[in-house]
Amino acid sequence: MSTDDAGRNAGDADGAAGPDAADSPDADGDEAAPGLYVESTIIMTTVRLVSPFILTFALFIMFHGADTPGGGFQGGVIAGSVVMMLAFAYGIDSTRQWLDGRVIAALASGGVYVFVGIGLGAIALGGQFLQYAEYEALFGHAIKYAIELVELSIGAIVAAVAIGLFFLLAAGFDHAIEEDPS
Amino acid sequence: MPITLVEAALLTFVLGCALGAALLEDTLAAVMAFAAYSLGVSVLWLVLQAPDVGLTEAAVGAGIMTVLFLLALSNTVSPDADRLFEPIRWRTVALVGGFVLLIGATVPALPAIGDPNSPVVAGEVSQYYLANAYAETEVRNAVTAVLAAYRGFDTLGEGVVVFSAVVVTLSVLRREVVA
Repeated sequence: MSTDDAGRNAGDADGAAGPDAADSPDADGDEAAPGLYVESTIIMTTVRLVSPFILTFALFIMFHGADTPGGGFQGGVIAGSVVMMLAFAYGIDSTRQWLDGRVIAALASGGVYVFVGIGLGAIALGGQFLQYAEYEALFGHAIKYAIELVELSIGAIVAAVAIGLFFLLAAGFDHAIEEDPS
Repeated sequence: MPITLVEAALLTFVLGCALGAALLEDTLAAVMAFAAYSLGVSVLWLVLQAPDVGLTEAAVGAGIMTVLFLLALSNTVSPDADRLFEPIRWRTVALVGGFVLLIGATVPALPAIGDPNSPVVAGEVSQYYLANAYAETEVRNAVTAVLAAYRGFDTLGEGVVVFSAVVVTLSVLRREVVA
């Protein structure tokens, strides 16, 4: 039943992804169509080919946001969308099994910890909260590197939260209580 | 203030999509109209030379939000739409119209787009950031300099807000793991 459900969800999301809208014309949560998730070789191959580039682009947006438009928030969302693409291609349920929930939780909380840690570290060095210039005593170009690290931690938070919300909403409320979280 | 053809076309598109999102009876169609609205707004930000905002709007508004809406739709039951548009309730029209008029009345008070004498550009704070951002932070994107360095504390708060979104969802759905 749960695979059935996940298949329907994946099919719905698939139909909404844009390029594949023609595959599932009645993708509005129709109960009567359990097999809306189509295991399409074309979609799977395309996603497999494209996702490394999208992940690289996300990191580029995160890191290069210091010099060009972009930053942690935008790059994080793009990184999160890679997992959603995988879910479209291979089904939400198998992607959920492939991805360890602890990784998502660690990314989200780790991002907050790193950001706060940078701020507290500046206090430890004798400055004020988030006063990056204090790190200049340890290594050169400290402010620039601190900003890059902050962007990366924001990216980790946003990517993990996007992925987490995606899986949580896909699971829904119905089988949230009886299903034993493993 | 003259308006270019591209801007006029974009504004028309955005307005049409907004009306579609509000009036379409079928929820899936309304969600799609809302995604198109976000995409139009993000291109509009690009035209207005705010690429950072445009990128966020495209990634969050048109991308993630649409996916989350669709997931929510697929987990709920929506009645079949038997007509294309919602029936128009005139009380709602009066309320929304009044609000639009109220907001619209403030528009003439705004400075023209790109006006060099507008407070945003000529203000002391903006000028300080533009003049000193690179020397003080070594990042060329002044938006990033303000976001991550000058206003780092605000951004930390933003990050925590995003983090708490997933915590709240976990507690509402009574789950302990995200995936």
